[in-house]
Amino acid sequence: MGVTKIVEIPVVTTEVPVGPQHPALHEPLLLKVYAEGEEVVKVEVNTGYNHRGIEKLCERNTFYRDIFVVGRVCGICNAVHANCYVRALEQLLDLHPNKRAQYLRVLAMELERVHSHMLINAVMAEIVGFETLFMQIMLDRERVMKAKEILTGGRVLADYMMVGGVRRDIDEEKRQRIRELLLKLKPRVEYYRKVFEEDETIVKRLEGVGRISYSEATSHSLVGPTARGSGVKIDSRVSDKYDAYGEIPFNLVTRSEGDSWARMMVRWDEALESIEMNIYILEHLPSDGNPVPDERRLPRRFPPGEAYTRVEAQRGELTYYVMSDGKGQNPYRVKIRTPSFNNIINSAFMYIGYSLADVPVMLTSLDPCISCMERVTVIDLEKNTRYRLDLKQLAGGKL
Amino acid sequence: MGVVDKHSLLESFSVGRGVVKPSRKLYIIEPGNVRRVFEALIEKFGYGGFYLSTIVGTDLRDEGRIRLDYYIVLLPEEETVVLRTFIPRENPVIDSLVDILPGALSGECETHDLLGVVFRGNPFLKRGFFAPRDVVEKGEYPLRKDSGV
Repeated sequence: MGVTKIVEIPVVTTEVPVGPQHPALHEPLLLKVYAEGEEVVKVEVNTGYNHRGIEKLCERNTFYRDIFVVGRVCGICNAVHANCYVRALEQLLDLHPNKRAQYLRVLAMELERVHSHMLINAVMAEIVGFETLFMQIMLDRERVMKAKEILTGGRVLADYMMVGGVRRDIDEEKRQRIRELLLKLKPRVEYYRKVFEEDETIVKRLEGVGRISYSEATSHSLVGPTARGSGVKIDSRVSDKYDAYGEIPFNLVTRSEGDSWARMMVRWDEALESIEMNIYILEHLPSDGNPVPDERRLPRRFPPGEAYTRVEAQRGELTYYVMSDGKGQNPYRVKIRTPSFNNIINSAFMYIGYSLADVPVMLTSLDPCISCMERVTVIDLEKNTRYRLDLKQLAGGKL
Repeated sequence: MGVVDKHSLLESFSVGRGVVKPSRKLYIIEPGNVRRVFEALIEKFGYGGFYLSTIVGTDLRDEGRIRLDYYIVLLPEEETVVLRTFIPRENPVIDSLVDILPGALSGECETHDLLGVVFRGNPFLKRGFFAPRDVVEKGEYPLRKDSGV
C-alpha cells in the first residue's frame, strides 16, 4: 500500500526557556532560546535575578569596609576582587606593598585560579554526563581548598588583601604543607587534562561546539579563557605585570580552535601553569619585611583622584574603577566590571546554528558566574523568622 | 601599524588629555564624536585591533552632567586607554555603538538601567535589566546621587 496522504508539519519557532532555575545551570540566568526543530535560531539573555547593588553599597561604606564588601561579590574569585580593589586604593594613596606581600598575594590568587578552573571542568564533566569524573575532580580540588585555608584562613572566602599588604603571613611549616599539597595535586591535574584531551566521548561532545573566531571574540569584548581559546593573546598578568607577576615565570596559554573544547583545555593548561607558579613562589618567597601592614596606621583620608585597575581573574579581565572626591570617608564611585558580565551577555551570537542539546555545554564552556543579587534574606534564628532587606536597608538605612 | 598610530588617531579627535592612575592615557572627546572615533578605529585597525572593555558612567550632580568613560584595550599591545565624554544630566543622550561594536551591548544596557543614559539607536535598552522591580516602578536610577535608593 502506497502513501495516500502526506501531512506537512510546518516548522515553527519554539521558545525554550533555559533558566533561571535549570539543572544545567548552577546560577540564576535566563536564556530564552528560540529553536526551529532542534536548531537554535536566536538566544536572548535575561539578567537581573541576582543583582545586589554592590556598587551603590560601596558608595555608602568607607574605603576600608569596601574591601570586605567587594570580597563578597563572588565566592569563587573573592581574592582577585579584593586584590583589584585594594590596588586601586594603593594607586590613590601612592602606597607600595613590599615584595613578600606581593608574592603572597599572587600565591592566593593563583590557588584560587587552580580551584576555579578545576571546578568548572568538573561541572563540564557533569554536563557531559561523567558524574564520577565530576566527583573525582572535586575531591582533588579539596587539596587546593586546604592549601588556601592554610594560607588565608578560609577555604572559600579569603579576606586576605589589605591596603599595603596582606592580612596573614606564612611560616616555614605552612610553606612546606602548601608545597606538598601542590606537588601531590600536580599529577592529578595532568591526568585530568589527559582525560579531557584524549577521551573520545568528551572530545566528541565538545569539539566544534560553540565556535568563536578571533574577530568575534574581540568585537564582542569577550575576555579570559573564552578569548584565549580563540587565539586572542590577552592576559592582564602579562600586560599590566601587577604585584609580583613581572618576576614570576609563566606562559600565556592560547589555543586556536575557538570551540568549547579549546576553552576547557586552556583552563587545564592554565591550572598547570598556576601550580608551577605557586611552587616557584613558595621556593623563592622573599623576606624583605613584614607583609602585614599595621592597620591602625593606614591613612584615613583619601586624596581626590581616580584609579582604574585590571586583574586577570579566573574568568578573564576584571576591572575596578575607584574615584575619590577627597571630601569624605567613602568613595564617590566604584565601578566593577566582572568578566562574566561581558562573556555571558555579549555571547548570545555563539549559540545560533547549534542544536538545543549543545546549549548547556556552550554556556558552561564560558564559565558563567552570575554573582549579582538583588536582596539579602535574613534569617533570625532566635525568633525563627525570615525577612528581606532591600538595597537601602542593606546600605545602612533604617530597618 | 603600531600603537603610535592608534594614539595619533585618538588624539586627532580629542579636545583634552589626562591620565587615570596607573598611567592610563585619557582622551576627552565631544559626545557627538564618540561614535565617529569607534568607526575610525574599526575602519583603520579592524575588529582585531582593540576591544571595548568597560563603560563607566558617573553621575556628577554638582556639575549637572554625567561622565561616560569608554575603556578600550588596544591589541596586540594590550594597552588600556580611556575615552571620556560628558553629557548633560537633564537630557543624557548619546549615540549607541551596539550596531557597529556588539561588545558595547552589556555596558550600554547596564548604564541605561542604573544611570538613565539613553543610547540612541540601541534597541535592547530596557529597565529591569539589573535593577529590581521596586526601583524600576518608582522610575529611579539607582546610581544617580539623588535617587534615594
